[in-house]
Amino acid sequence: MKEPIQKKWIWVGFVLLILFNAPWYLPEGMIEPYILGIPLWALISVGLSLILCAYLSWLCMTQWNLIEDEEEEEFEKERRQS
Amino acid sequence: MELQFGGTDALIILGAYAVLMIVIGWIAGRGKKLGKSVGEYYLAGRNLGFITLFFTLYATQYSGNTIVGYAPTAYREGFSWLQSIPFMTAIIGVYLIFAPRLYVIAKRAKFITPTDWISYRFESKRVTIVAILLMLWGLGNYLLEQLVAIGHAVSGLTAGAIPYGYAVIGFIVVMLIYEWLGGMRAVAVTDVLQGIILLIGIVVVLIGALALAGGSLSGVSETIASTEPQKIGVPDLQTNINWISMILLAGIGAAVYPHAVQRIYSARSERTLKRSFARMAWMPPITTGLVFVVGIICIVLYPGMDTGQSEQVIGILANDIAAMHPFYYWMMIIFFGGIVGAIVSTADSVLLSFSSMVSHDIYGKYINPNATDERKVKVGKFVGIIVVFLLLWIAWNPPGTLYQIFVLKFELLIQVAPCFLLGLYWKRLRATPVFWGMVIGATIAGVMTLTGNNTLYGIHGGIVGLIANFAVCVIGSLLMPVSEDYKKHIHSKTSLHDNGVQM
Repeated sequence: MKEPIQKKWIWVGFVLLILFNAPWYLPEGMIEPYILGIPLWALISVGLSLILCAYLSWLCMTQWNLIEDEEEEEFEKERRQS
Repeated sequence: MELQFGGTDALIILGAYAVLMIVIGWIAGRGKKLGKSVGEYYLAGRNLGFITLFFTLYATQYSGNTIVGYAPTAYREGFSWLQSIPFMTAIIGVYLIFAPRLYVIAKRAKFITPTDWISYRFESKRVTIVAILLMLWGLGNYLLEQLVAIGHAVSGLTAGAIPYGYAVIGFIVVMLIYEWLGGMRAVAVTDVLQGIILLIGIVVVLIGALALAGGSLSGVSETIASTEPQKIGVPDLQTNINWISMILLAGIGAAVYPHAVQRIYSARSERTLKRSFARMAWMPPITTGLVFVVGIICIVLYPGMDTGQSEQVIGILANDIAAMHPFYYWMMIIFFGGIVGAIVSTADSVLLSFSSMVSHDIYGKYINPNATDERKVKVGKFVGIIVVFLLLWIAWNPPGTLYQIFVLKFELLIQVAPCFLLGLYWKRLRATPVFWGMVIGATIAGVMTLTGNNTLYGIHGGIVGLIANFAVCVIGSLLMPVSEDYKKHIHSKTSLHDNGVQM
């Protein structure tokens, strides 16, 4: 059985990704350097957003399994019977 | 504003679209005993598969405002609106806190509405009633906003051929017909269509905007840096705090929306639910992310607009794109059709959720506890009609000074969050502190919004209220004596194992 709420590291990661999404740690008004025509700070923020997407998507698929096996077994039984 | 590309062609597209939705609703409800069971009507028989569940989550969370409202915000605020990507993604993170366990308990105890969980967990009339009022108030205002938006989108698209009032009534009738015919199934299946059109629309308008901007993004940043550097530089501290506050507000608020909670109940299985969430986590970059890029391109294309003018920026952009080539002309009609669809797909889910709460929670629990499911579904259908026309009346006759109370949505809805986030796991959490937490949280959020102080040091009123709410819940519960029997009783209700506890 896997339940996300039981695993502290999941929430430490989640909070850190949210906390560092806003560029408060960089000097106000900073624009340059540009990478591929986009300010570096914006690229960092987009990068962290994409990591957040990947992280949450991965958590859903790998860290959540409460009654899945039980349900799938039941569905399988129903399929066989019909 | 008047769209140059709309008119008769748009009328045909919208007409076809309306007919298609009704046909889908009819097919979705055919052969099902919809009127006889609240579970069938409001939750699609708890049998939504991966595709429908994914799209109904998507089309419900992303409304027409995602395009029409977010592109102008990106135009005005510049790069700090990158926050629209993580705040939509955070919803999945908040779901992960409560959805896995709530799904298991809801399946076992056969919940229909979010209120079912609240009354099951706290066994308190006053907690249940305050939660119902907060959720209905938030949902009602959300629906009001969508109804007004449908009118503007359709009358703009048809160049006034369908006036604002007729557009609203027309689409309400269409929405009610397919909802009556197919309940949640119809809402979910039409969401598949509406979600796909919305996605296509966003991609097409981005391609058009890029074409107008000369084919590439290079130079956009330099132009903004030289003309409006404050829109491209690292924002100030208050904006950064507001950015994080927005992630929390939207993340928690959108996850505990009643129609969002009901989608957890509607899933066919845990596997379906988690797969849908896993895909949903990737939707913000290709939805709000692309809309952000469109808004940024508009800074270069249409410099110097004030706030009022910038609200029209998507219409102005669509006009210019449509004028480039007949292909774009038709694409822009589809794009605006997508916006109408996105609004309708949000409104229909909200309306169904509203009806379910009035018929199942208020009528079924307090007015006529012996009512049959058939009777409850009927009551819900009629309440739906009364609500939309009452909201329309408010929209067309806005009360002078108190209009602000119709703006409160997330700020109030979010105050039910402790019932889910704490209530599922903390056995000491008691009804009295939860009641006062919701009342105090909603009062703080409401007063801040109504007095025009939307934020405190950049933190939204809804979040300030929620912090107070959580504090009251935790401190109040710790101060109250708790017996071992009570803890055991709550444990048996919130346990993942079936202890034979039913509603």
